[in-house]
Amino acid sequence: MDSQIFNPNPTIIATTQPIARRRATQAKLSLWLLDGDDDSKPIDADEVFDLIRSISDPEHRSMTLEQLAVVSAPQVTVTPNHILVEFTPTVPHCGMSTLIGLSIRVRLLRTLPTRFKIDIRVKPGSHQSEHAVNKQLNDKERVAAALENPALVDVLETCLESAGRR
Amino acid sequence: METAERYVRTWVASPRDKEIEDTVSGISDGQLKLVHVVKALGEYLTSEEDDLRNKGVEFLALVVGKSPLEKFNLQSIKVLVAFFASKLEDTETIIPALKGILAITRIPALSSENVIDICAAIFAHVKMQALVQVQRHTVFSIFDSLVAMHRDVLKSMGERFLSGYIALVDGEKDPRNLMIAFAIARVLAIEFDISIKFEDLFNITFCYFPITFRAPENDPYGITAEDLKLTLRSCLSASPLFGNLAVPLFLDKINAGSPVTKRDTLQTLSVCLPVYGSRVAGKFARQLWSSLKLEIFQPTDPETEEEALKATQVVIKTIYADEVTDAEVDGLAKDACEECIQILKEPEKSQAKPAIKVLCAFISTTPSVSRYTLSHVVPHLTKLSVDPDELPNRGAVLSLLASLIAASRDSALKVINSEDIFLLPFKDEVLGVLVLGLKGKSSLCPAIEGLSGLVTTPDLLDDDEIGFVVQKVNEVISDQQEDLGASDAALDLLKTISCNTPSHIARMTLPLLFSTLPEHAPVREDIEGREKYRRGLSALSHLCTQPDLFETLVVRLSVRLSFLYAPTTVPEDTEPSAAYAHALLSTLADVLARKVERGDLDVPKYVDRLVPRLFNLAAYGVLLAPKSPGGTGVADPRIISVSARLVNLVVQSLSAQKQETFASTLFAAYLKGEVATLAIGDLSLPADTRFSPFGLAAPEDQASLVPLFSGAVIALRPEARVKIPVDDEGAFLEELLNWSIRYAKNNTQRECAWQVVTAVVNKHALAQDLDAFLDATFSTFWNEEIATSPGPDTRRRAISAWAWISRALLVRGHPKALIFVDRLFELFGDADVGWDAARAIGQVGTADKELTKRNHAIIKILHAQKYASSTLPKIIAGAQDSTDPLRQTVHLVALAALIKAIPKTAYEHELPTLMPLLLRGLSLPDPTLRAGVIDTLLSAAQADVEAGAKTASEGSVITEHASSLASIMLQNSAASEMADTRVRVGALKYLAVLPKIVRYSVLHPQKATVLRELARASDDPKRAVRKEAVEARTSWFRYSG
Repeated sequence: MDSQIFNPNPTIIATTQPIARRRATQAKLSLWLLDGDDDSKPIDADEVFDLIRSISDPEHRSMTLEQLAVVSAPQVTVTPNHILVEFTPTVPHCGMSTLIGLSIRVRLLRTLPTRFKIDIRVKPGSHQSEHAVNKQLNDKERVAAALENPALVDVLETCLESAGRR
Repeated sequence: METAERYVRTWVASPRDKEIEDTVSGISDGQLKLVHVVKALGEYLTSEEDDLRNKGVEFLALVVGKSPLEKFNLQSIKVLVAFFASKLEDTETIIPALKGILAITRIPALSSENVIDICAAIFAHVKMQALVQVQRHTVFSIFDSLVAMHRDVLKSMGERFLSGYIALVDGEKDPRNLMIAFAIARVLAIEFDISIKFEDLFNITFCYFPITFRAPENDPYGITAEDLKLTLRSCLSASPLFGNLAVPLFLDKINAGSPVTKRDTLQTLSVCLPVYGSRVAGKFARQLWSSLKLEIFQPTDPETEEEALKATQVVIKTIYADEVTDAEVDGLAKDACEECIQILKEPEKSQAKPAIKVLCAFISTTPSVSRYTLSHVVPHLTKLSVDPDELPNRGAVLSLLASLIAASRDSALKVINSEDIFLLPFKDEVLGVLVLGLKGKSSLCPAIEGLSGLVTTPDLLDDDEIGFVVQKVNEVISDQQEDLGASDAALDLLKTISCNTPSHIARMTLPLLFSTLPEHAPVREDIEGREKYRRGLSALSHLCTQPDLFETLVVRLSVRLSFLYAPTTVPEDTEPSAAYAHALLSTLADVLARKVERGDLDVPKYVDRLVPRLFNLAAYGVLLAPKSPGGTGVADPRIISVSARLVNLVVQSLSAQKQETFASTLFAAYLKGEVATLAIGDLSLPADTRFSPFGLAAPEDQASLVPLFSGAVIALRPEARVKIPVDDEGAFLEELLNWSIRYAKNNTQRECAWQVVTAVVNKHALAQDLDAFLDATFSTFWNEEIATSPGPDTRRRAISAWAWISRALLVRGHPKALIFVDRLFELFGDADVGWDAARAIGQVGTADKELTKRNHAIIKILHAQKYASSTLPKIIAGAQDSTDPLRQTVHLVALAALIKAIPKTAYEHELPTLMPLLLRGLSLPDPTLRAGVIDTLLSAAQADVEAGAKTASEGSVITEHASSLASIMLQNSAASEMADTRVRVGALKYLAVLPKIVRYSVLHPQKATVLRELARASDDPKRAVRKEAVEARTSWFRYSG
């Protein structure tokens, strides 16, 4: 991996509670305390965000993408059968952007039902080579080629190791 | 003399222990003299033949080694020393000679000249490189015993000994020898004058650092790397003289080593530096700091970071060890502190975290440094947090401040008077900025954290200030918080305060919270109103465990309840009132349960203050309370059940005497209608209605009060004095049983009746009355209600009752328990109730909430194991017997029902037999049974994960079933095929575990299928299922050879 450090001292934000801890509004509607809420709900932006929030940053392994404000719930858009994830690199010259995008893509490929089409984009204006990164991340062939590279897959796996943590 | 010769000759011809022993015993009882032995050995000792000479010396060495120590006099020792020393020159005899010397060193009478001679001879003639490990071990043992017994002589030899020894042991590699060598080196470093030779000693010890030894598998010597590390560490930290040489070496290893080496080095540094002293620490201060800083600011892993922080503390402590508290701090601590403060100027950045960790570590070093750190960092942070430019970062600043406050509270320094609380001078400013922080959304949580740090620091805040904090936090909880985490934290803070100073909470917080509870329930559509009282109640339940506060809570909530039960204007819809009453009672029950859990002493008094009110309310609710047509009123079963829980909790805590009194009132009310003495409260009950919940002619609703009765009865103690106040216990139970299967209106009532029967049987099974009852049940009840009965429903109920009674007996280890259970097997062929009987077998083994230690049930240990070992073989045999498919299935049901109830140890050894049966159990139509089977498989799998079955040579028991397990679990995980969520979740959990216990080669062919099917499961309508599908899929994606 590249030994150059792009952002040695990134800003950290406080994390929020995952869905499981937040009481659904449905519970408020019920008259009795005992009635557990029925959690039959379609996949929404929060749930998708829960899937990717705990991915480790490739540059700062001890921190998650959420802590570095690379991904956030409002940056996820879910419509039936289509998901758009936008992410914000911590600095415009971040050379890890493609890797971060790729790790998000792999995580979503492995966790979401196949009916979804997934688009991953850098937040407009947040990266100097925005177009190139977007193109790379949404090109099926290139993603597949990247996943043939064992060294790259190794790095991805280490980033994704923490993804299941809450 | 001749005897000696004979022994020697025999031994040389064929070496056996017997001759040695005979010789030694000869010497012991004086028949033989050592001289005789030597003379007898004469020809061998000087023989031209190498082998003979070797044997000769060996014989002597063995004899010396085994002879009693007092048989050696000065003269003989001298001769022996000289003899063995001379034999060291001879390469053929060096090995036995060393053994001989080792034997001699253990003789206390050894003189100083002897010691010197031995050393000189060894230094002169022993070449360690030429010897094998065992022989080198002998050499080390010789020195070990010399150092232990003749230390002064060795000291007097001075440099001669040191250089000889150092030259000798240089280059040793075997861990067994090194363990001794390190121990010797430590003694040399501490006690000998090593001022000239310390460099050589350094070289022969530090060359082993860091230890990279890894013990071979099945090592018979059992020396671990950890043993070596610790011994070496004690050796490295033995002398301050090593300091100048050692620290650069450590620095080198910290910078270049692997994480394990880094941790080892940091730990060693922490041990050594205090010995090396402040001069050495001061000299290398900068280098140490820059190395340690790297480990803290760019940590390889959390453990190393932790060690680096500890080492930093040690460095600071060592440097400033001698300074007085008030001294101005200069040097490293100052510089490091300033460096960290510089970093803290960007509090929101990631580097701020390690910086504050360093500063927090400084607080636990020396008083002067601690004072210095706080007096510089706290003003910096308080200033930063009020800086308008830094407003967006206020949360980050306060969170740093909070960690500092916590560190100063937990500081290792002793606090003797308020002078020693270094935070005290800054208390006002800190309190100010924290309270200010309560106003901002992002800074709320850190501000609360900081305040709890202040509040929990002893002697920091005075009473008024705590009052001020309470007031400000009240504002937080009265605002409607979006963020549940913040209001939880605020409540936790108030709870902390309530433990020490409840008065503030009682005066300021409780009124606020009670004001959120309306007199009448909000109407059905008023979601906001409902949410408000729920929030108030959850806050109250959090806060009110402290005795005074709980008492207030009971009084205030009882008043609210009375209003609800007897409203001045009857609402059109009574269900919201019922739900509100339920919420109030649940709050009380939750708090009470926590108090019981903690063992609070004020619980028993509520038998007079709360329990009569509960009966009063419930009776009123059933008899008089208004009820909207078709809807539920306050007599709702959910309300009765939570009241019953409260009664149960209070009665549990009563003494036997109190229970006796209460029981007589209770039974008088329920059996004789004397309800007025039991149900005392604000509401007056009608005098003209007959109270008779068990009565057959009683108004329908009264029976719904049975849960309150059972809640109390199951908590009664087994002592003889707490007798059930009826004339004939057996007859009472019989009636109750009869009532339960024929007249009870619903399942709740039936179960409550059975709980009473169960509790009485469990606690009084030895009483005379009950013998008759058990016999009658066993024959008459079985024949009339179970074996032949009018309808299958009655039979099912009777079977349930049977299971309850069996369980009561089983738990107390009663001999009749198994006879009762055995009868259930008779029903297995019955088409109507076979399955019920099979489920009942599981029920008997299942732990329940009623027969518990808290409820004073008589519980024998290992009853579950006993049950399993007596029933399981029968069930397994039945499930394997395919002659009658119907019976076979019923056995399978019994197995599925039983297996999740019994402890794993009871069936572990049967797993290979059980696996195929459990697999078949997974296709039983009843989802509850399937879920039970999956749970069982999961817990077995979990055990396999822990035992590392995947890599173990014998593999897991499930390996041969792995592929059918995978496909059957996939079937159970699909929403289209399995409607029950629990089963789907369980199946997915199992799929997630499979890759952890089965080798890839076994399941490799199924990987693609599993991943494809799991993709479907990840589109499940239920969120909980999707979550498990994600876990399972991730696990399978990673699964590879």
